[in-house]
Amino acid sequence: MKKRGRGMACGWYGIARTAAMDRAAVWVEIDDGGTLKVATGVTEIGEGVLTGLCQIAAEETGVRPEDVVLADNDTARVPEAAHAGATRMTYMIGNAVALACREAFGKFAAAMAGYWQVSPASIRARAGEVWVVGSPSQRMSMEHAVHILKKDRGIVIVGSGLFTSAHTALDPETGAATPWQSYVFGTQIAEVEVDTDTGEVQVLGVWAAHDVGRVINPQQVEGQIEGGVIMGVGHALMEAYSQAAGHTTTPGLAKYILPTTLDVPHVTSVLIDEPDPKTPLGVKGIGEPCLTPTAPAIVNAIHDAVGVRMTHLPATPERVLEALRLKRAVQPREQRKVA
Amino acid sequence: MPDPSGFDPAQPPTTRIATTVNGRRVARTVPLHYRVIDFVREELKLTGNKEGCGAGECGTCSMFVDGTLIKSCLAPVQKIHGKTVETVDDLDADKGMTVIQRAFHKCGASQCGYCIPGMVMAATATLRKRPEASLDEIKEGLGGNICRCTGYQKILDAVAMARDVLNGARPQADLDEAATDSFIGSRTRRLDAPAKVTGAIKYAADLWMPNMLHMQVLRSPHPHARIQRLDVGEARAMPGVECVLTCDDVPGVDNFGVFIEDQPIMARGVVRYVGEGIAAVVAETADIAREAVKRIRVTYDILPGVFDPVEAMTESAPQLHGFAPGNLCKHTRIRKGDVDAGLRAADLVVQETYRTSALEHAYLEPEAGLAYLEPDGCVTVMSPSQNITHHRHMLARILGRPINKVRMIMSTVGGGFGGKEDMLYQGMLALAAIRTRRPVRYVFTREESIAASAKRHPFSIDYTMGLTRGGLIVATRMVMVSDGGAYAMSTPGVMNKSAILGPGPYAIPNVWVDAIGVYTNNTPSGAFRAFGAFQSEFATESHLDLCAERLGMDPAQLRRLNLMQDGATTHTRQQLDRVAATACLDAALAAARWDPGVPHREAHGEPARVDLGGPGTRAPCTLGLGTMATDKETT
Repeated sequence: MKKRGRGMACGWYGIARTAAMDRAAVWVEIDDGGTLKVATGVTEIGEGVLTGLCQIAAEETGVRPEDVVLADNDTARVPEAAHAGATRMTYMIGNAVALACREAFGKFAAAMAGYWQVSPASIRARAGEVWVVGSPSQRMSMEHAVHILKKDRGIVIVGSGLFTSAHTALDPETGAATPWQSYVFGTQIAEVEVDTDTGEVQVLGVWAAHDVGRVINPQQVEGQIEGGVIMGVGHALMEAYSQAAGHTTTPGLAKYILPTTLDVPHVTSVLIDEPDPKTPLGVKGIGEPCLTPTAPAIVNAIHDAVGVRMTHLPATPERVLEALRLKRAVQPREQRKVA
Repeated sequence: MPDPSGFDPAQPPTTRIATTVNGRRVARTVPLHYRVIDFVREELKLTGNKEGCGAGECGTCSMFVDGTLIKSCLAPVQKIHGKTVETVDDLDADKGMTVIQRAFHKCGASQCGYCIPGMVMAATATLRKRPEASLDEIKEGLGGNICRCTGYQKILDAVAMARDVLNGARPQADLDEAATDSFIGSRTRRLDAPAKVTGAIKYAADLWMPNMLHMQVLRSPHPHARIQRLDVGEARAMPGVECVLTCDDVPGVDNFGVFIEDQPIMARGVVRYVGEGIAAVVAETADIAREAVKRIRVTYDILPGVFDPVEAMTESAPQLHGFAPGNLCKHTRIRKGDVDAGLRAADLVVQETYRTSALEHAYLEPEAGLAYLEPDGCVTVMSPSQNITHHRHMLARILGRPINKVRMIMSTVGGGFGGKEDMLYQGMLALAAIRTRRPVRYVFTREESIAASAKRHPFSIDYTMGLTRGGLIVATRMVMVSDGGAYAMSTPGVMNKSAILGPGPYAIPNVWVDAIGVYTNNTPSGAFRAFGAFQSEFATESHLDLCAERLGMDPAQLRRLNLMQDGATTHTRQQLDRVAATACLDAALAAARWDPGVPHREAHGEPARVDLGGPGTRAPCTLGLGTMATDKETT
C-alpha cells in the first residue's frame, strides 16, 4: 500500500569560519575599456559566487558584470580571502568586493567631478556609462572616462576592501562565545509517499524557506537550495559510507548510492530577501543552511505517513520495512484485526 | 621481478586506431589497453568530457559513437576504429553554443560543471531521439548521469526549454539574458557557464605541461599497522621511474592539520587507516608509476584496530596517537542554566537516540593536481583545494622553505562540499616537483578518492528534552559521540559546530551539550557541507516531531512557541539582533499550504490531512514504465 505524509523541520546556521576570526581582502582597479579588475584569493567551488561578485562589482562601480575580470585563486598574485566553504563566499568576499569597489568608485567619482567641475556626489555610473545627475551634456562611456583619467590626468583608479566577521572562541567549560556574527534561519516541509510493501520512500515535494540576506542572484540561490535539498534526500534515504573492520564496503559509485533525476522531488524555494543589518552589503549565505532541515523533514513525513520513527539514517527501504514490521508486532491484537 | 604476464609498462602493446572525431579523421597508435576516454582525453587532448568514476556509473564521460551515446570509460578503444565519435568539445560544430547548451546557460543548470558535459550529451541524445520528450522521458534520458551540485531541477528546466525552442514552441529570444535595471538581485546568467557547458573549462586532470611526469601512490591495505620495512629499491630501478618518495624525503616538519597537527604527508612508521598514503612513485607514464607501486615491498606488523568510537574511549582500546589518551580528539561542551532542575520541573520528558551514517561527498571530480617548479625556485601546486591559504602555510613548513617560495593555485573545482578542504596529496605533489624539477600530475581514481578522502562524521546522539504541557522547551540535553577516524582533520571544528547549533534555533533556558569526537582506525572524518550541524539538527528536528506527537500538537505550532525571536540569546549566550526564524516558518507553511495537526493523525483518530498532492509536488515515479525504456540504447 502507498501512503503519503508530510513533515517539517526548522534550522539555523552560523555563517563564516568556525576556527578563527574570519577575513577576506580584495583589490580592484577600474581598468582600460571601462572594465574592472577584481583580485581576491579564492575562487568558487561551483556555487556561482564569481558571477555574484561580478554583479556586486558592477552595481557598485557602474561597469557591466561581463566587463569584470576576476583575478582569483592564486596565493602569489592576489590578497588573502581564506577558504572556499563555511557559507562564507558571498558573505565574506561579497562584502569585501563591495568595500573595495566603493573605495575605487569614490576616487573615480572625485576624479570625474574634477574633470566636469561638479560635486563628486553628482556623479553616477551604470552599465558602462558615467554621467552627472541632471546634466544631459555631461555623460560619457566608462571606457572614455578611464581613457581621460589615465591619459590626461595620470590617474589609475584602484581600491581595496577588507571584511572581517566577529568571532570569539568557545569557553572550554561553558561554551560561551560569539562564534559567528550572522546566522541564517530556515524551514523546510517535505511530502513523501511510502510503499508499505517495499519500504521505498519517494520524496514528492519540498518547500524550503530561508532567510538568505540580500539576494544577489535568485537563480543561484535557488540552485544552492535545490542542490542542498537533493543532497539531503540522498543523506536521508540512500547514502551510507560503510566499513567493515576499517575496510570500506562502498568503494565506488556502484555501491555508494546517490540520488538521480528519478529521485528528485519538486523543490519550491522561498527566499526571505532581508538585508543583514550587520554588513555593508547586507548579504548572507545559503550553501550549508539549505541542507540541514531536509533529512529530518523527510523522516518526519515518513512518520506522518506510516507511523514509524526513522531515528537511524539513512532510512533505506530495508530499515523502513523493519520498522513497519516492529510496529505491527507491538500493536495490540485487536488493532491488528482491524488493520 | 618482471610482471609474470609479460606486460612491460614502459613499452605496452599498442594498437592502431583510425577514427573520425568531431568531424576530423585521426589515426593514432595507442596502448592496447586504452579505453575510448583515454584515446580522446590523453591522446587527442580533448578534455571536454570528464572521467568521474571509471565504472559507467556517473555518465560524465558520455560521448556519441556513430550516433549512439556510450559511457566512454567502459568502452575499449578498439570500439571506435572506423567509427565516428562526437565529444562535447565540438558539439556546436564551431557555430557557438547549441540550443541545449544555451538553455543550460540561461537556466543556471551548471554549478561546478564537472557533470555538465555528460549531461549535455545525454540531453542531446534524448532530444535527438525524442524531440517532443515529456518531462518523465527527459528524466529517464538523464537517469544515468549523476550531478551532485544542482539537484537536477535546473538541468531538467534547461532540457525542457531547449526542447521547446527547438520545436518552435518558444522563441529563441527566451535563451537570451533578460533585461534588468539592477545587477544585484537579477538572474544574471552564470559567467562561467559557457565554458562549462561546452567543456572548455579545465579542471586539474585536464591540465597538461610539456615534460610532465605522472604520480601514483602506494596506499595502506591495513587499518592499523607498524611499517617494519619499506623497500622501494625495485620500484626505483624500473625504467621510466623518476623517483620514489617516502616520509624520509620530507625536508621540513612533517606534521599538519587544520586544528591538530597529527598527520604526516606520507605514513611515518605507522598506518592508521586503509588508504593512507605510504609512498609516491613519479614516472614517465601513469602506467609505469602504477606498475612501480606494485613493486614496492612493505613488511607490516599488524596492530589491533579500533573501529567504534565508544569502544575507542575504553581503557583497553588500542591508542592511535600518543598525545590523545583515550583516543579523545575533541570534547566540546555547552552548559547553560541547570538542565537537571529543568528536566525535573518539566511536565514531559522525552528521550530518544539518533544515529547518522558516515557519508561520502561524491563530488564528481576525483582529486587531481599538477605541481611544477618556477624558474625562481618557487614550487607551485595547482589543485582543486578549497583552502589554498592554509595549504600554503602547512606546505611551507612541511617543505622547509620560505612561504613565498610556495604557491598554491586553486584549479577549477569539480565539486567540493568540504571534501577538498583538508590537505591530502598536495604535499606529495610539491615534493615530487621539487625532487624531479619537472611538472608532475596526479589524478585519483574514484576508488582511491573514496578510500583516501575524509567523510562526513557519523554521529550517535542521546537526546533528552523536557517540555511544559503547553509545549515550551525547558531543558535540552544532547550527548553526541562521533567517529573522527584516524586523523583529526576538521573534527574539532565539526564538534564545535554540531554543539553550538545542535539544540536548534529555539529559546531554551537550560542546555547541556557534549560533542565528543574520537580517533578510530576508520577513514578519517572531515569537513562536509553543514559541518556537524547536519547531524545534530537532524536529531533536534526529529525529536521535536516526536515531542509534538506526545503533546498532541501541530509540529509547526510547537516550533512557533519556541523559536528564537529578535534579540534572542543563543545557547552560547550570544545576543542576536534580528532573528527571521518565524518569518521562515510562516513562509514555508504558506508555500506548502500546510494543514495543521498532530503528526500521523490516523493514530490519534484525527481526520486525514488535506494538503497532500497539491501544487509543488511531482507525480510518483513509476520506474521502467516510461516509453524511453522500450528502445533504450545499449553501450
